[in-house]
Amino acid sequence: MRSRPAVTTVLVLLVAASLLAAVGGGLLRAGANWPMLQGRAIVAQAAGMHAALMLSGFLGMVIAVERAVAVRLRWAFAAPVAAGLASAALLVGRFEVAAALGIIAALVSVAVHLVVLQHQRASHTALLLLASCAWLVGNVLFAFGHGPADALPWWFALPVLTIAAERLEMTRLTRRHALALPILLTIVAMLLAGAALSPLGAGGVMLFGGALMALALWFGTFDIARRTLFAQGLPRYMAVCLLAGYAWLALAGLAWMGMALGCPGRDLALHALGLGFIFSMVMGHAPVILPAVLRVKLHFGSWFCLPLLALHGSLLIRVFGGMLQPDLRTAGAELNAAALLLFAVTLIISAALWRSRKGS
Amino acid sequence: MNTEASPACPFPYRGPPELQKSIVSALKLVVDPEVALSIVDLGLVYGVEIDAEKARVTMTMTSAACPVTDVITEDVEAELERVLPAGSWIEVDLVWEPAWTPELMSDSARRFMG
Repeated sequence: MRSRPAVTTVLVLLVAASLLAAVGGGLLRAGANWPMLQGRAIVAQAAGMHAALMLSGFLGMVIAVERAVAVRLRWAFAAPVAAGLASAALLVGRFEVAAALGIIAALVSVAVHLVVLQHQRASHTALLLLASCAWLVGNVLFAFGHGPADALPWWFALPVLTIAAERLEMTRLTRRHALALPILLTIVAMLLAGAALSPLGAGGVMLFGGALMALALWFGTFDIARRTLFAQGLPRYMAVCLLAGYAWLALAGLAWMGMALGCPGRDLALHALGLGFIFSMVMGHAPVILPAVLRVKLHFGSWFCLPLLALHGSLLIRVFGGMLQPDLRTAGAELNAAALLLFAVTLIISAALWRSRKGS
Repeated sequence: MNTEASPACPFPYRGPPELQKSIVSALKLVVDPEVALSIVDLGLVYGVEIDAEKARVTMTMTSAACPVTDVITEDVEAELERVLPAGSWIEVDLVWEPAWTPELMSDSARRFMG
């Protein structure tokens, strides 16, 4: 077994710290009135930098770790480590250090994806490279004082395009329709144009939302989850995570287009995408990716559906309940955090179960 | 005594004929966790060679960006250890040429994926 104990420990701490800070900051933004969140400079900082911590910090790290493990190159781990340290620097108010580290992380990630592309020249590896370039653009905009708002669509493009690339790769296992790839490439072009044009006005925001919506339809039409839903066990659980995520992606696209037309619903647009789509994917893939990255085997069981249900249920309360009653938005956000905690506990218990069964 | 694979073997096999069946069965236990298909059915195994010193598996992955590669190659080693004589040296060579294509999938895998 190829172990990387020192790097793994540092990465686990940085990933956990980024996620905790991002969730804590998010709770404060959503109006949570917990004593532990009040009057602390670091939590206030985390609230102001919620998007940077969650998207560029946590998700940037997780994606960079995945790729570093895949290419089996030591220097590739510089990307997630730099992204994690950027989160830490942001939390202590060292913006310039964080900005520089963020750019270094994304540059290393671009280099790693060039290596991947060299190993395998395929449309999905090219798309992964494009995703890392979007991360770089987001981090450069952030570094040069454009603030989280301008960087936001580029940061979202990192996980969205990464997921699209991974799902595109899986469609090779089916008789893929001849139009699937050209349609996806058109959607990707729309998404990137939308990200670039968003700071200039509503047209860019509309384009970005339209691309999200179109991507949800693409997944619904071409993704293998519609087939693996009829498998058993882990593949079926993953398919449920994927399909539920696609529904939220469609809703996020609608809400994003609504924002362009001046409708309220920014919380819906951002969190249907971030939690409903992206975190549903994270929950779906964690039972496969964690054993690869952490060298910890998990005993999979139907109990994995509990945190998944909690995530989607709490998001429904947050976005739809929150439209009727502002308190429900806060309660929904608190339950979102509880769902993530429940997922972490599920992973720990599943790892312990695997160990005990192996030992018995 | 080494022989080429029998027509029934889903990948090129060079080694003792009496081991061939158990090698194929062992590799069919290594499953891609996302699609519930074995690496044999997916056509990822390019060949197995067994001589007096070692067993060498040549295989690929559907994606060079997949972090699960090490887990799968370790599963290959673990499953082969069960069927090879004790103390056999097992080597898994990961290659990207020739590139994997969907045509390498077994008929049953293709039927499942549609």
